[in-house]
Amino acid sequence: MTEKINIKNVAKLAALKLTSEEEQKLEKDLSMIIDHFAALSEMELPDEKITIHPLGMSLNLAEDEAFKFFTHDEALSNAPEAIDGQFVVPPALD
Amino acid sequence: MNIVPTIGMETHVELKTNSKMFCRCNVAETEKPNENLCPTCIGLPGSLPVPNKKAIEYITLLALSTNCAITNDGMFHRKNYFYPDLPKNYQISQFDLPVGTDGSLEIVVDGEFGTVEIERVHMEEDTGKSTHIGSGRIDSATSTHLDFNRAGIPLVEVVTKPLIKSSKEAVAYIEELRQLVIDLNISEGKLEKGNLRFDANISVAYENADELGTKVEIKNMNSLKSLEKAIEYEISRQTKMLKNEEIIIQETRHWDEKKEVTSSMRSKEGSADYRYFSDPDIPNMILDEDFVADIKKDMPLLPSDKRNTFIESGLSIEDANSLGKSATWIGELYNSVSNITKDSKVSFNWITGELQGQLRKLEKATPPNWLNPENLSEIISLVKSDKISFTSGKEILSKLIDEKINPEEYAVANKLIQENDTEEISKMVKEVLDENEEVIERISNGEQKLIGFLVGQVIKLSNGKVNPSVAKELLLKEIEQ
Amino acid sequence: MDHYKLPISDINKLFKDKKLKPSELYTEVFERTASTESIIHGHLSLFQEENIKKATDADERFLKGDELGVLDGIPVAIKDNINISGYATTCSSQMLSNYISPYDATVISKLKEEGVIFTGKTNLDEFAMGSSTENSAFGPTKNPWDPSRVPGGSSGGSAAVVSAGSAIASLGSDTGGSIRQPASFCGVVGFKPTYGTVSRYGLVAFASSLDQIGPITNNVSDAKILYNSIRGHDPFDATSLKDVNVKQPKLEKAKIGIIKELMEDGISEDAKSEVHKVSKLLESQGHEIIEVSLPLTKMSISIYYLIAPAECSANLSRFDGVRYGNRVNGNTSYEMMEATRAEGFGPEVKKRILLGTYALSAGYYDAFYGQALKARSMMKKEFTETFEQVDYLISPTTPSDPFKFGEKSDNQLEMYMSDLCTIPANLVGMPAISIPTGLSSSGLPLSVQIMSPSNTDNTLLDFAQNLESEVSFDALPQIQGDGE
Repeated sequence: MTEKINIKNVAKLAALKLTSEEEQKLEKDLSMIIDHFAALSEMELPDEKITIHPLGMSLNLAEDEAFKFFTHDEALSNAPEAIDGQFVVPPALD
Repeated sequence: MNIVPTIGMETHVELKTNSKMFCRCNVAETEKPNENLCPTCIGLPGSLPVPNKKAIEYITLLALSTNCAITNDGMFHRKNYFYPDLPKNYQISQFDLPVGTDGSLEIVVDGEFGTVEIERVHMEEDTGKSTHIGSGRIDSATSTHLDFNRAGIPLVEVVTKPLIKSSKEAVAYIEELRQLVIDLNISEGKLEKGNLRFDANISVAYENADELGTKVEIKNMNSLKSLEKAIEYEISRQTKMLKNEEIIIQETRHWDEKKEVTSSMRSKEGSADYRYFSDPDIPNMILDEDFVADIKKDMPLLPSDKRNTFIESGLSIEDANSLGKSATWIGELYNSVSNITKDSKVSFNWITGELQGQLRKLEKATPPNWLNPENLSEIISLVKSDKISFTSGKEILSKLIDEKINPEEYAVANKLIQENDTEEISKMVKEVLDENEEVIERISNGEQKLIGFLVGQVIKLSNGKVNPSVAKELLLKEIEQ
Repeated sequence: MDHYKLPISDINKLFKDKKLKPSELYTEVFERTASTESIIHGHLSLFQEENIKKATDADERFLKGDELGVLDGIPVAIKDNINISGYATTCSSQMLSNYISPYDATVISKLKEEGVIFTGKTNLDEFAMGSSTENSAFGPTKNPWDPSRVPGGSSGGSAAVVSAGSAIASLGSDTGGSIRQPASFCGVVGFKPTYGTVSRYGLVAFASSLDQIGPITNNVSDAKILYNSIRGHDPFDATSLKDVNVKQPKLEKAKIGIIKELMEDGISEDAKSEVHKVSKLLESQGHEIIEVSLPLTKMSISIYYLIAPAECSANLSRFDGVRYGNRVNGNTSYEMMEATRAEGFGPEVKKRILLGTYALSAGYYDAFYGQALKARSMMKKEFTETFEQVDYLISPTTPSDPFKFGEKSDNQLEMYMSDLCTIPANLVGMPAISIPTGLSSSGLPLSVQIMSPSNTDNTLLDFAQNLESEVSFDALPQIQGDGE
């Protein structure tokens, strides 16, 4: 694969902050793996409807019955920061 | 050359199921935040989604009622982006195989029928609620608080084709969609509660252009009024730019309710890459012919059905439309009353004008249970037949809202029955004229408004019982002689 | 006498016959743990305190004749990517080093009802991504057969503790071979069930369409017992199957296919000769051995390394420090998420997330992920057609015997190649079992893998059990410090 991977862009999409060393190494490693995919990419494969379940099972929908799972405290039990029962994070920009 | 706008609407409808879309947590509002949660709706490691059957039935109902084609073999997709109110940092949604496609909705604009074409209807889940703490403006917040009670509530997204031509049409469309989800009983449809949320995509172009202009997405319109204003503002902003040959950027803009302008949101580099792929946790969703037929079978009356019935009863398109969008009891009352009085317009006016007006003043949502089609029709007939004046009719109605009375009996007991006998009225007219010769002089000299004074005298003489228009007629005849 | 290598049904009989008490067995097992853990490092956490009470409760039950079933009082180790309420589930990651599960995985609820005693949580490659357990953030697990060698991965801890006797059995998870390969490296039995027969609710997802929980045990009969107690439809898992009836393969005079493509380049001579040795044994049992060709298996690594990272890139997005996990602060929530993930994830996890993100991103979907899905679909067809010719398929479990620490960690492609033989079963969804059959020229365990059509799990287990008794593999690791 001749096209260079824009590792910065991919890292941004994945919300991963990389050091420049990491960027270099990963770019190299990923390019190597992607080159390995060349044979697969070039195969002529027929278009087919995707079946999500490996065994072709179709979806069983659930009945609309509500029940209580967590107490308020259980839900917040691992919260890194919480105030007045809400999870707290640094300001989220749009 | 004319510049014409093109509008597309994206609306999210909150479904009123008992439990969330992908887990069985309760959807009801709670006093405290983070009360209705489970591993799935807060994205704990190891949790899995299981779709809600009722939600699928509701979306199918909506898709069918808008004449959409139903996708028999569909699936869910993951829409990937990072935001703290999104527990998994992907939203389970639908991408290229939505439940419904290519539908339409009949609307009424300025008293005329129109159609809005619908591109797709798809299923997705709501996010949690974020509250920005700080000085109020999002740019200077110091932290964000998160409540995940809302995370996972079923949402239906309805996307129109970009074929809406005016703000009025957009507003009429939202009104129709809202009434539809209420009539289908799949959503409360309350804008102020966020049951229905909408964004508008707006572009402008010269009339003869081959392509549509650059589309701009407008968010944060919380009422129909702001929808209308925002669209108007944006159209005018883009039109100015087009005329000045300025480039319109594809972006998302925020409607500022206070300043009444749209403004750029913090810029995102280009359009987002959501990396949609089919959700491997949810097998293919087969909605077969039997399933669809069952849903169709139980389809309630649609707003368009009710509107047509009202039109057939004699109302104008405009009146029929507004009646269909009022509370159910109003339409039902209208049907019964117009059946009895055989006068659709008058029945409509009395119910939507007088009755609703009086109830509103008393801050009542509905009339008392003793107010029924029969006694209301009685009041209407009394006025129609000139037995009582319109003012008296209003008085009786007011009394009826207050306590259980018989309108005709009340009218008689309170001497509201009008004198309509021409002979009787002529006598009184002659008497008044005899006593007011100077006034007659002045009227003959041009002071026409003194006629009113004379009519008042006749009314006084009759203790309010005389039919004022008959009195006036006779007075004028006499004066001319 | 030592009981920790006995089959579960034998132990259960001893319990019922009052010749052994659950608390005595537990003490034995715990003493094994105490003497081997410092070398092996198979467990990340031990539930010692509460287990003493659980064991004596089990004693009571057997005394009264109230025992819960064949698994009552049996110490089982659990891979640390399976949630047990009230205990840490770290996935061997810094990201979750402080995370305490507030709920039980479905398999755990089921085992609790059986009276199983959980020894503790075992080590794995971080988030189940790896083939050696070298990717654990808390240090590697050593192979009981030779501590300078890897136990395999990602369920290295689970396999090592069974091999060492610090648990009677364990649960692992298998996405591309993560139960079978470490089982092979540690000389024990590893079984990956048909996709969907065991609930994934409570298993921290790596690749949703490939993951399955399964048993790692001393023998096939134990695997069968454990499998049948954890399997079953689960309303909390939309991919979990309701009972499916399919034609079962034959147990006698069966046709067995050796997969040609898994006996070629990249497979060691030792591994190939095990397959040949076992084939001869099977022939002597009256079965027929033929060679079959499944050309698409050569694409397995590429297909897998597109599908698994793509799915995991989304599955791991939830680890952002918002609702749980080791948060690293930032000025904005996005910066916080970025920093939290940078510090919480190890290099292999980051690599796979980025690979998956790339494969799914705009412009690349069709060539990569989309293409992999199509190829997977074709591969399934190839196997379905082949199973019309044969009852079972046989191959090596791993290309070689256990490698040394650091041997493959610099060569990512070689590391990925460890999964060559095991990946097809995950891609297709079929059940696969690895049983130890012999020792390599270095004296390290070698195994063969048997596969059968989907939903024939118990028949496969029965078939494997017959083979196992014919093979009679009874070698045990000599762990340094083992008094013997």
